[in-house]
Amino acid sequence: MTPPDLSIVVPLFNEEESVRPLHAAITSAVEPLGISFEIVFVDDGSKDSTVALVDEIARHDPRVCLVKFRRNYGQTPAMAAGIAQASGEVIVTMDGDLQNDPKDIGELLRKIDEGHDIVVGWRHERQDKLVSRKIPSRIANRLIAKVTGVPIKDNGCSLKAYRAGLIKKIPLYSEMHRFIPAMASIAGPRIAEIKVRHHARQFGQSKYGLSRIYKVLLDMMVIKTVASFTARPMLWFGLLSVPMLLASALAFGWSVVNFITTDRLSLPIAGSGVIFLSSAIVLMASGAVGELVYRTGDVREQEFSGLTERIASVVSHHPVSFNS
Amino acid sequence: MTYVSSTGAPAPSRDLDVSVIVPVGRRHAADITALHAEYRDGLRKLGLTYEFIIVLDGANPQVAADLQRLLQKGEQLIVIGLTRRFGEATALMAGFQRASGRIIVTLPAYHQIQGEEVAKLVTAIGPTADLAIGRRWPRAGGRFEIARRNAFHRLIASVTGQRFNDLGCGARAMKRRVLEEIQLYGDQHRFLPVLANRQGFRVVEVDVRQSPQDRYDGGYPPKEYAHRVLDIFTVFFLVRFTKKPLRFFGMLGASTFVIGAVLVTWLAIDRLVFQHPLADRPALLLSSLLVVLGMQLFALGLLGELIIFTHARDIKDYQIDEVIRYPDKLPAALPQGGDLTYAGVRRPQNESSPAALDP
Repeated sequence: MTPPDLSIVVPLFNEEESVRPLHAAITSAVEPLGISFEIVFVDDGSKDSTVALVDEIARHDPRVCLVKFRRNYGQTPAMAAGIAQASGEVIVTMDGDLQNDPKDIGELLRKIDEGHDIVVGWRHERQDKLVSRKIPSRIANRLIAKVTGVPIKDNGCSLKAYRAGLIKKIPLYSEMHRFIPAMASIAGPRIAEIKVRHHARQFGQSKYGLSRIYKVLLDMMVIKTVASFTARPMLWFGLLSVPMLLASALAFGWSVVNFITTDRLSLPIAGSGVIFLSSAIVLMASGAVGELVYRTGDVREQEFSGLTERIASVVSHHPVSFNS
Repeated sequence: MTYVSSTGAPAPSRDLDVSVIVPVGRRHAADITALHAEYRDGLRKLGLTYEFIIVLDGANPQVAADLQRLLQKGEQLIVIGLTRRFGEATALMAGFQRASGRIIVTLPAYHQIQGEEVAKLVTAIGPTADLAIGRRWPRAGGRFEIARRNAFHRLIASVTGQRFNDLGCGARAMKRRVLEEIQLYGDQHRFLPVLANRQGFRVVEVDVRQSPQDRYDGGYPPKEYAHRVLDIFTVFFLVRFTKKPLRFFGMLGASTFVIGAVLVTWLAIDRLVFQHPLADRPALLLSSLLVVLGMQLFALGLLGELIIFTHARDIKDYQIDEVIRYPDKLPAALPQGGDLTYAGVRRPQNESSPAALDP
């Protein structure tokens, strides 16, 4: 079997009502594009008849493949498994709940052809509840854009297209699927954002709520540090130790001045100076351990730098644009 | 007897039904031949093909001599001798390297359950159970002992959300896949059910009768209790935070840092505004310690994240049950029936390369 041009990865979790219409929508939207494609459904431990339905579909459509989890692991592992399984040159991910419209896939692919490595959808007319979904999401997106430096208006939109060579190299774990573009920024990809359609939820329950905000914040911090400092742990921990060094210098300075002027050494102040100094040293040592971790790991920066090189030489005349 | 390394083992042929692994550690039955006979008779009732793998965890001349006698009598045994005592989990994995059965049964090297109960464990394995663990019931033991056991299992339950009743029982039966996917090390054999459950395997508890010789003989050394408490911590981290170190360390670190920072600020205001002398206040030491500790914890969390990130390809946080993909041309006759018969290519994903899965 020759690898298809396009793989569409769809995580499913208890989506028995949506599966059939979704398959019909995808095939009717992608077939006219005249490219070979496959659909990789990932069943994230559904308790309903999702697996049986997909199996039935796969029986009649050899382009459909189902990756089945033994239990529910969450959306990021589902995405990661689907991406690992996909063999297409371009990988499109989307939600299984019919809120994304497969008709937008053509537009995503056109952007990829223009030379972008990642094309993300922007649900500019989002069909969700205002207070519990849209407003927190807008704040979160602003923050994510600010912190990670990847100005995307809608990180939560699952409809995205990637070059397979790039996305397969990006480590995906925990709950990082929302941050794939930020995570991918290690490789310096050309990112485009296009407006996509968004439909109100037809079936089933929304699987997210407000509770995820705290997790999103911490994950964001992880990505920021990991993406920008992975190869330089020493620098990163060195920065952390700067305030400690300053505090200890302050305390020592004060002690010395005190000692000279009043001939008395204040123990608590000198003591806290020692504490801060030792902390700075331990942080530096942590940085050294970090270097060790990086050396024994299998993530290499030069690996990422090569991911977008080739394309850059082909389409270097395309300016990087984040709005279309 | 040779030490079988993890890579040097010959590829086992998969034609047996049951492989029984008995790790012989520090605690073992005085007469290992009697124990072996008991287990063997229990297994024979099933009418399945089986093999016995006995792993000597560290040199043990007396047991080795007993086994030698068994071998001379023509018993079918595989004996693996480890060069030194590695611990039960490692011994189990060494035995597993040589095991060729579809079902793996681990049994303790001392009389813990009655021999005929082994069959019960094996028959419990089926479509709805991947791992059957023994629960000694009814069980002997003093009131204090029962309370201690309950407390331990309740703690484990509160940490992992899974209630088990007898993690100390070494008699377990499982599908081959369980041990293929879970790499045990250290003291983790005790928590195999917890780890298996986490990987999505279905775990069932089976009541087995306790051996009359498995009696509690009054008190464990304090070291044992310390180990159990540390075990609970280990499981806590394994289950909750292996993938998200910063969620744990970050929370702890940030709260410590904030407390320390507030204290420092208050001391500074006290000094600058209210002119209280700072020099004689130990509170300054405390608050700076808190600030430093918070920073340190946070840095540890970040270090953890760095480890996860740089090793994310090795530690997959999901397990694929199977990949279903039908070939272009369907076979002429489709077998119909239950949900486990499929016409197409349906194979468990043991291969990691996606290309290998294409029909």
